[in-house]
Amino acid sequence: MSFQKYFSALLLLFIITACSSLTLKPADYSWPIENVLKVDSKGFIEEQRYSFTLKVKALFYEEFKDSTNFSGKEIRLIRDKVGFYYITGKDFKNVYVFEPEENGMDLENKILVTETGLLSPAFNQKSPNIELLDSPNKYLLNYKGIVRK
Amino acid sequence: MKTKKIFFLIFLFTAFVLNHNVFAQSDSEKVNNFASRFNQYENAIKNAASLDECNVIGENIAKLKEEFADSKTLLEKSLQINYDEEFLKIERALEVRKGDFTQIVQLTTEVGSLKDKVSELSQQNEGLISQIKLLNIRTAKDAATIASLTKLVAQLKSNIEQRDQLVRGIVDSLLQEFVKTPGTLNEAEKQAVFKKVDNGNLFYNIERTISDNVQFMKVTQMTADDLSKMKEQYRDFNKVWRQVGPKLAEVYLNRRDKAAQVANIDALFTDWDLRINDEMWGQVNKLFRDYKLALLPFRSGDQFVNSVTSFVDDEIKNYGIKSSEESEKTFYAFTDSVYFRTVQPVWVPVLIENNLMTEANKDSVEKRIATWKEKVAPASKMNWIYIIGVLVMAALIAAYFLKGKKIKPITFEEKS
Repeated sequence: MSFQKYFSALLLLFIITACSSLTLKPADYSWPIENVLKVDSKGFIEEQRYSFTLKVKALFYEEFKDSTNFSGKEIRLIRDKVGFYYITGKDFKNVYVFEPEENGMDLENKILVTETGLLSPAFNQKSPNIELLDSPNKYLLNYKGIVRK
Repeated sequence: MKTKKIFFLIFLFTAFVLNHNVFAQSDSEKVNNFASRFNQYENAIKNAASLDECNVIGENIAKLKEEFADSKTLLEKSLQINYDEEFLKIERALEVRKGDFTQIVQLTTEVGSLKDKVSELSQQNEGLISQIKLLNIRTAKDAATIASLTKLVAQLKSNIEQRDQLVRGIVDSLLQEFVKTPGTLNEAEKQAVFKKVDNGNLFYNIERTISDNVQFMKVTQMTADDLSKMKEQYRDFNKVWRQVGPKLAEVYLNRRDKAAQVANIDALFTDWDLRINDEMWGQVNKLFRDYKLALLPFRSGDQFVNSVTSFVDDEIKNYGIKSSEESEKTFYAFTDSVYFRTVQPVWVPVLIENNLMTEANKDSVEKRIATWKEKVAPASKMNWIYIIGVLVMAALIAAYFLKGKKIKPITFEEKS
């Protein structure tokens, strides 16, 4: 009986060890500068340096409640140290924080910045935070919200 | 007083905050600004038209380096460059470009001195050509005139050769410029070429070189050797021109007058070549004319064959109609005095060497002459002449010896 107990415990330990996931840490996903990307007629943006495409049509609907008026508009995109993507654009009231997921991005947070809409927004990398400039205003953000105004 | 101080401090603080906010710059804007200015200076180096311009670019590069030194890490990460290495590269490129201008200044001076020599020789040549023309016009040429003429021709020949070499020098230096910068030239490089062409008065000098050579052919009696040398000179010069000419035409695409000059020089080279060819064939024609052998004019190997064939055919046809003595006289004048004496040993090799005639042409002519010989002076007839001649000679020799020898009477002495 005692042998059975020991054997079961050993087996359990072996199974637990085998199933534990491998983690690589630390990582820094931060982009040195923002990317300004134009939305094409199908609602896609194409990032050249990090080589990905993303459909942002739904973002325009979310922000403007209009999913037709996006073609040719510019959106600004930056990634923070943790790996969240920050997206905004001219006339946006919010900064959208996304988390990458399989074949797309998941909304992590929607940060309301101004009720009047941003006039000339620009992101700067201020690791671990992200700086949003909208002359003459400056905001320091992280994925949870505005850190400092 | 205190209120004033407080007010001043508030003002300073507000100004600082505002200033900080107003000048808050987007990093991507900063990166783009740097990249665009850096590119601008790179292009400016390529398009720089003078050493002074290079110096100004150098100053701007130094300013750029200093201005963005604080953002070095940002620029390196964003543009994936090594900040210091990029500046080293651009500074090296600037030094190379500066070197080009130093070389251009040297070449311009060199070309300038060549230009002076060329002008001097051109003036001398002009005088010599007129003197030779004058002496040629004199109908009665005494020994002194002929000696003077020979001396002038030799001087002119040497002058033309020297001048040709100088002009070749200018064209060669231009060719080096093109080789150094293959493909499309930028505006600064084009300017350097314009300058060199203008400084060397290149187009005028090439035209002058060709026309002087043509004039020389006209005023002097040239030998096969002279013409062969001139043809070689033409070939060398034309080869260089064919490398430079199209590139100059490309450079001068927007300057109609110069483009026309380039085209004109092309035409002059073609003309020079044709004139040398004509001179060669003219000299061969003259050799036949001097013996009153009326061959149809010819200006190519095929025409020469046709002309000889037609002449020989006429002679064969007329054999029997004309007196045989006359036919033989024509035959021997053609073959012994002209063709086998001068044309075949002197001119035919030169003509073949310069692709004006082929070995097949030569064989055709000689085959035709052999047919003619069979008719006019056949070997069988010649043999009988030789046999009779030998017999006559033998008889004469025998007679001489027989006459000179005294015949002694044979005496028999009786032995006692």
